Amino acid sequence: MATVTAIGRNIRFDELKLSGRVFFANKTAVAGLVIFLVFMGDALIVQVAPGVLGIQYPNDVVPPQFTQTNPECVGTAPEPPSIAHPFGTIQYGLSGIGCLDLLQLVMKAIRIDIAISFFIVFVGAAIGTLIGVVSGYAGKWLDEAMMRITDVFFSVPFLILALAVGFVIGRTLLNMALALIIIWWPLYARYGRSLTLTTKEATFIESARASGSGRLKIMFRHILPNVLPPVLVQISLDVGTVILIFSTLAFIGFLPSNALVPELGVIANIGLDLAPLGYWWTVIVPGAVITLFALAVNLMGDGLRDVIDPRRRS
Amino acid sequence: MKLWIYVVRRLILLIPTIIGLTFLVFALEHVGGTALFLAQYINPHLTGTARQKLVEELTAKFHLNDPVYIQYFYWLAAIFQGDMGTSTTLGQPVATGFVWFMPNTIMLTIVASFLTWMISIPIGVYSAARRDSILDQSVRIVTFTLYSMPVFLIGFAIFLTLGTTWRLFPDQGNVDPILLPTIPDAWFDHTTAVSYPTHILAIDAFLHGDWTVAWNSLLHVILPALALTLALLAGIIRILRASMLEVLEQDYVRLARAKGVPERLVHNFHAKKNALLPTVTSYGYLVSGLFGGAVVIEYIFTFKGIGWWTTVAFLNGDVGVVMGSTFVFGLILVATTLLLDVLYAFLDPRIRYE
Repeated sequence: MATVTAIGRNIRFDELKLSGRVFFANKTAVAGLVIFLVFMGDALIVQVAPGVLGIQYPNDVVPPQFTQTNPECVGTAPEPPSIAHPFGTIQYGLSGIGCLDLLQLVMKAIRIDIAISFFIVFVGAAIGTLIGVVSGYAGKWLDEAMMRITDVFFSVPFLILALAVGFVIGRTLLNMALALIIIWWPLYARYGRSLTLTTKEATFIESARASGSGRLKIMFRHILPNVLPPVLVQISLDVGTVILIFSTLAFIGFLPSNALVPELGVIANIGLDLAPLGYWWTVIVPGAVITLFALAVNLMGDGLRDVIDPRRRS
Repeated sequence: MKLWIYVVRRLILLIPTIIGLTFLVFALEHVGGTALFLAQYINPHLTGTARQKLVEELTAKFHLNDPVYIQYFYWLAAIFQGDMGTSTTLGQPVATGFVWFMPNTIMLTIVASFLTWMISIPIGVYSAARRDSILDQSVRIVTFTLYSMPVFLIGFAIFLTLGTTWRLFPDQGNVDPILLPTIPDAWFDHTTAVSYPTHILAIDAFLHGDWTVAWNSLLHVILPALALTLALLAGIIRILRASMLEVLEQDYVRLARAKGVPERLVHNFHAKKNALLPTVTSYGYLVSGLFGGAVVIEYIFTFKGIGWWTTVAFLNGDVGVVMGSTFVFGLILVATTLLLDVLYAFLDPRIRYE
């Protein structure tokens, strides 16, 4: 028995090594990974030791001492990118509440953006995949009912549905995440279901059933482990997609002005009034940072998909 | 199977979705409590006993003291009569607002879809045909970047460059404000800025022979349509390119090449049509993004369609409009998906036999 485990472990380790080699041979995927790690590093530093980056209030757009009009800033326009402020500065409102360094604001925002996108995708994927596996395995009326329910969620354009859900449950950051989970789980339910349907037909499932395994054991011990890898790749791709949607929601003003958090879409929303006056960087910079993040995640996700799907390896 | 039988079957399958949609909107309206539900039917300036009386009337009309499933049917009856409440921001029934603003959104999305297809078909086909050439690689880099951009960045970049900075095209509203006084009252309501009979200013002005206004308001469509096109383009080019690459591997393409058909003809005659078919179905999934994108882009360009209206209503706490939009956008999306499915079945008879 011991030898079998040892061999099993060896095979698994070899597979991992091969996967790693396939991934690292893909230059664009590695570039994506590097950018992604820079973003993660920033998020980590802001979380653990914001002082290193010179950030004092990681959870506020406007530092508390600036809540009243800051006399130093009144009448001054946002400054364009310069050596002192690589991304330029931004003001909260035209009355000049705080002349905020955009780079610092972006560094704070990255932490929150990464946290929300992972939260939405992981919770959505967990709920969706679970429902998908159960309904795909159970089949019959349960499956039919599940498909009709997901149909309903797909029948409303996702941005409108998120607006409507947010409107009802309240316009806060957490509720924005909840609204997006509500529109995200059906995607994973469909995906998990279709993966289950193909896995269900495999011979090892049949032999598990023949040897007397219960439904729960087959579902969670045999089917779920086979459904998870492609779902994880989908998660890695969706982290890049979901940030585009919630930053767009924040951009059109999902969060009311008394509940602002440093989030890239929120920064762009503050810039919405400033940019047409010639201060273009107030919208373009946060937008470009979002694009860079989504690009990195998409490149990385494509690389991961090549690892999982041998047919795509060339 | 005949095409009409397929259409009827698809229509029957639509029924549960539409019932589900009504459940969804009903649940959204009621989960916020009675006060939020009633807010869409009551004028916020109404106070005192008049308000009390109206609340009682509405409670009776929607049977708010009865069990939920009974409430649902009374609510459904109201919806079927087109009664979606009153918009507090517009001061008009919600249904009227849809009649006013929907044509603009429909025009914008149709123009943007048309542009998208016109641009993406040649690019996608050519990029696949010249696989790994410099052109193909630059197309892939550009589409990948566009694909990773939030809609608001695409819209705002167009707004800032072509609109505000270079002033190539107008970037606000549906017509230059300076032209408004010249429009006769006969077909334009100056208090609400709504034109008659189609509510699309460019078409109405054209119908009434006012060329200056027609041309000007046509110019106002260009930037939002361009932004929406760019937002959609990347997705379609990616699917089309992949599908074209797949088709080019098929045996019949190899046969065509073997018997000496010129490469240009192979691409345009043999491969293109078959590569387009699956792209049409994938387009169904993109339509959801098209309407979502329209919301943001209309808001950036203050283009007066239902997307702009929904956003303004959302920001001002106008319940009736947000809920009505969810329902109406849902119906539009369902109808569009149905149309695309029928189109697909018409183009590819194999689909009808599945």
